[in-house]
Amino acid sequence: MRIAVCVKHAVDETELKTDSAGNPQLKGAATKISTFDKNAVEEALRLKASHSGEVVIVTVGTPEAKKSMKEALAMGADRGVLVNADPMSMETRRTSELLAAAIRKGAPYDLVLCAEGSSDNYSCLVPPMLGEQLGLPYVGYARKIEVSGQSARVERALEDSVEVIEAPLPAVVSVVSEINEPRYPTLIQIMQAGKKPMEEVSPEAILPGLTAAPSFVRGMKAQAMARKRVVFEGPPDETAKKLLDALASEGVLPR
Amino acid sequence: MAIYSAEHRRLMEMFYPAHHHEYSEVLTSLGGFMEKEILPISPKLDTGEAKIAGPRKALLEHGMCQIPFSEKYGGLGLPFSVYANAVEMLGTADASICLSVEIHNAVAEGLSRFGSEYQRKKYLPKLLSGNSLASFTLTEPASGSDAGTMATTAEKKGSEYSISGSKMFITNAGEADLYLVFAKTRKGPSCFMVEAPNPGLSFGGDLRKLGMKGSRTSEVVFSDCRVPEGNLVGEEGKGADYAKEILHGARIIVAALNVGIAQIAYEKSVAYARQRKAFGRSIAEFQLIREKIADMKTEIDAGRLLYFYASRIKESGADYSSEASQAKVFATEMSLRVCDSAIQIHGGYGYTTDELHRHWRDARLLTIGEGTSEVLRMLIARRELARSQ
Amino acid sequence: MSIKVWAFSESASVANEVAAAASGIAQTSGGSFTVVGLDEGGSKLAGEDKLVLKAQAPLSASPEAAAAALALVAKESNPDVILVGSTRNGKEIASRLAVKLGRPCASDVFAVTLDGGFLRGKRNIFAGKLQADMALPLPCVAALKVGAYPVLPASPAKEVERAVGEVATKTRVIEKREKQRGTVDLKGAKLIVSAGRGVKKKEDLTLISDLAAALGGAVGCSRPLSSDMGWLPEEHHIGLTGVSVHPDLYLAVGISGQLQHVAGIKDSKVIAAINSDKSAPMFEASDYGVVGDLYAVIPAMLKELGGRHR
Repeated sequence: MRIAVCVKHAVDETELKTDSAGNPQLKGAATKISTFDKNAVEEALRLKASHSGEVVIVTVGTPEAKKSMKEALAMGADRGVLVNADPMSMETRRTSELLAAAIRKGAPYDLVLCAEGSSDNYSCLVPPMLGEQLGLPYVGYARKIEVSGQSARVERALEDSVEVIEAPLPAVVSVVSEINEPRYPTLIQIMQAGKKPMEEVSPEAILPGLTAAPSFVRGMKAQAMARKRVVFEGPPDETAKKLLDALASEGVLPR
Repeated sequence: MAIYSAEHRRLMEMFYPAHHHEYSEVLTSLGGFMEKEILPISPKLDTGEAKIAGPRKALLEHGMCQIPFSEKYGGLGLPFSVYANAVEMLGTADASICLSVEIHNAVAEGLSRFGSEYQRKKYLPKLLSGNSLASFTLTEPASGSDAGTMATTAEKKGSEYSISGSKMFITNAGEADLYLVFAKTRKGPSCFMVEAPNPGLSFGGDLRKLGMKGSRTSEVVFSDCRVPEGNLVGEEGKGADYAKEILHGARIIVAALNVGIAQIAYEKSVAYARQRKAFGRSIAEFQLIREKIADMKTEIDAGRLLYFYASRIKESGADYSSEASQAKVFATEMSLRVCDSAIQIHGGYGYTTDELHRHWRDARLLTIGEGTSEVLRMLIARRELARSQ
Repeated sequence: MSIKVWAFSESASVANEVAAAASGIAQTSGGSFTVVGLDEGGSKLAGEDKLVLKAQAPLSASPEAAAAALALVAKESNPDVILVGSTRNGKEIASRLAVKLGRPCASDVFAVTLDGGFLRGKRNIFAGKLQADMALPLPCVAALKVGAYPVLPASPAKEVERAVGEVATKTRVIEKREKQRGTVDLKGAKLIVSAGRGVKKKEDLTLISDLAAALGGAVGCSRPLSSDMGWLPEEHHIGLTGVSVHPDLYLAVGISGQLQHVAGIKDSKVIAAINSDKSAPMFEASDYGVVGDLYAVIPAMLKELGGRHR
């Protein structure tokens, strides 16, 4: 089985700092492999283990994105393709167009796996856009994937229901984080990841004649949390009472 | 908290300008593993609610002990400082797992330096992959610092040795399946590999310790414990030299361990000082608290630099015994000062919270174990006085 | 300039939220809005102007089919703005429409307005740490954050039916299982008591459910309890990738307050927390907090509540 996994080198939202005016300090911000991408890589590795084949990491990112690609390679992926472009500067459709072009270039694939959404932006739009752009069957929010022959049986989780879908391969599938527990690469795998092939391509090379497609974000600001942050400490009988009194005075306890 | 910290990164850059990216990747991964898998269960290892075996095996399988050893035996072939840095990180995550693991690695070091090629091939891959656990078995009920007076004997009987006697305060005793045992043959102290189970090998109950409660420590009893003659490590009579050599390296590692303990006690203190209020403001604003914070930080940085320094000398192949001893004496005593300050800063909570005072309890072992401060000071002074000739 | 807006969701109640948004922007631009539905859903929809798409097989069974049908009709009527409810299926439909129609698209948008030739709105970014201001050039598709708008009542207006012929899909639904609704409707719950890793054993969740019952609320949890430990079904998981809630009171018990969890509770009126770790980030995100052992505090609360209800 040849599996392409889309990975994003994301801003680490837990480490992102804002200044006193609420403006984000994006320059030099800590980055990481987008949290749920590890689940997609893990699922690809499990399928590779049972069906043999190759797992290819596809990323749209700046040169820094090689760090995340290496992490995925350290987990066990075989090689990576980096499209040199900054996803934050472009609209989501362009990101998925570039991923689609890189995937077409490396075709054929039996399966394209993505996380349901990225941990920093969480638009959840790229996987279905990818399916549409590649003209492939698409199943979103998979919590279980079984492959037999040329078709996949996917259990997908919706808000109020669970569906079991049959999709002919090749297909695009996005996974939820509940699907698996990603493995830790061992130290030796970390050290050897750098030796695996990592190809870099320019957007123009895989998608000639591109016009500008800037992001629709006009500005970003921290939301003023404005929570009261009143903290009660002391013996539980006292603090329990204080809490209930405070909540009653807020009018949020049932009469 | 980032267990692989900015301070570590900076030191890696300074000491290894050409290769620090590679080392940082390894340590970042290890740090992430420790933050998620070791640090959260650390308090439970102290109270006994969690057991050491599972997390320790996962850590070994991840590759912790492979760092300083040759790729030939399943190691990563990285510099000793990288391993020492990893040990500091583990000391921060959980001191008792760290103690258990560094003892295990001391055995691997001993085999790597003094074992035959056959022994290295037989035991090292198992030790480095985490499939086997080792125990460094030197100390006796009546001989600690004066290892030369050991009473455990190894008598040659045909193609076997028979080991009799007892060892005390042995970490990983009863859990390990490989023991590096020092016993006296006719030619003097010698070194043997003893595999468990063995009918002549038994263990005392887990000793009740002040700290390092996650790791198992007990007596080891040898009653006509038979091992094939091929289990002799190196030459008969050279055991004391081997022990000394292994312990020099172990001293750097203990220094790193205690810097790690001091580091976590320090970080908890800073966090507490920031949020604890007295007289209408956070106690971090008071001068005498600031003095403590400044001193804790300075001493930790000094301790870290000393073990890095000793590591680099070890890597160069030169005699590093004094620097290793200096690092150990300083770092272990420093960690007690820092952990004591941490208790003081936490006030009543410091005295009544196991999760906090355990750092002092854990650290307290190491001015004693693996070379007491007193003995190491003699070593340092002796060497200095010999130089001035 | 008179703007044509479509409001759509495969779910009738969400469609009526989207209708509220569509109504808002249509009014300000002096334009009109059409509420679009599928199959037999016309009577449940709000709005004066209803359009229901029908095919031989139910379109609501497949977001792919729904998107194909919507695209077909959109190419004829050219609505300037297509608003879709940002459910999981809704985001898929919006994405497909964006590609099929060649339009800009954004998801989980709220506070939408029309401004010049743009649809402006806000969306949460970086797990809710920041809010981004968005501007989508018209014509566009936007998936609207669920729960951000009031639900308009169904209207008696008669819908216009549009048959779209046969719509082929690449995938097949083999099975569909409704999740047990039971007591779990966190999205609409006014009071939620939520459990985190501070709860040591699955059996101890009775403390949480007892407190929820005493307060007349629902039970939720942070991700580890549903995903990692399986103590509660997924529907109880509140957070960025789980359910977003907006109760009057959200009480987080033994929850550390990771960003991904807090992302799901931001719209709560009052947030309270019980945690034994005084440095837990949950306290920063709360109005009221108790530093203490939940195993002591909750029984104390139950005792106190029992006394109050005398």
